[in-house]
Amino acid sequence: MDRRRSATGMRSALSITPMIDVVFLLLVFFICTVHFERREEVFTTDLPQRGSTADPLALRDPPITIEVGATSSSGCTIALRAEGAPAQVQGFDELASVLGALRRRAGDYGLYESTHQVLVVPSRDSSWQDSVDAFNAAVRAGFANIGFSEIRK
Amino acid sequence: MSLIHARGPARIDANLTPMIDLSFLLIVFFILVARMSGDQLPPISLPHPSHGAMTPASNAPRMALNVVDEGGGPIITLGTRRFGGTENSIEDLAKAIEQRLRVDPATSVDIRADRSLPYAAVEPALRAIAKANGALGGKVRVRVCALADSGGEGG
Repeated sequence: MDRRRSATGMRSALSITPMIDVVFLLLVFFICTVHFERREEVFTTDLPQRGSTADPLALRDPPITIEVGATSSSGCTIALRAEGAPAQVQGFDELASVLGALRRRAGDYGLYESTHQVLVVPSRDSSWQDSVDAFNAAVRAGFANIGFSEIRK
Repeated sequence: MSLIHARGPARIDANLTPMIDLSFLLIVFFILVARMSGDQLPPISLPHPSHGAMTPASNAPRMALNVVDEGGGPIITLGTRRFGGTENSIEDLAKAIEQRLRVDPATSVDIRADRSLPYAAVEPALRAIAKANGALGGKVRVRVCALADSGGEGG
């Protein structure tokens, strides 16, 4: 016996075809528009220094500077300006290890505190990828006070 | 003869019109929401450093400055507003950032730039944030966005 038919013989028919149509339309819409993004994370950075906010009488050690050269097919040049460091380094992994050796840790004789300012100085034509790689190397080395410089005119 | 038989078998039909109306409203809602979120965070090929040492982005309020090149040179977008790299545009961008941060000072300013762009395209955004920071007394939190997984292109 048909379950929808009541004892009195009346039949209630609920047409679900439009609902299924709409649900499938929604499904197709979201399948077509979805894209899986890779996880986005962040570096906290310092802003380019402006003379007006800095204390002119404060004695400040010169920052460690990482100069990132223009990006070419063979990569980019990386120059490090810090005491006791080689002037040129090959690649960002070496940069991270050199910076890590410069940082003072408990019980050793590193030259710089982890709070010492590190300035990434990319050239106009160096790619943002290389600039961020240089920043990342300083973070990996354990420095906490890192910023980008303005382009020198 | 009974009334039931005189009128024929009774049918109960559900009125589906409100449901379909609601479904279309939902579709329109999702389309609008998708567009708004796209304005805030457009898809960008962010840098992905090898052995990345980034920290996960918190759920705190954020303001995204997107630096993209759509064929006509690099532009900076903030929400639906677009800025070029000229000094006047940087002034306008700095004012826009300052206005938003006065409303909600806890907002972080996130720089989302395409990894292939030269630094000269991204630096105006940093300068604009620095100007806003100067006007706000140095309380701006700035973050650089990158992709978490190491893809091997960096280095």
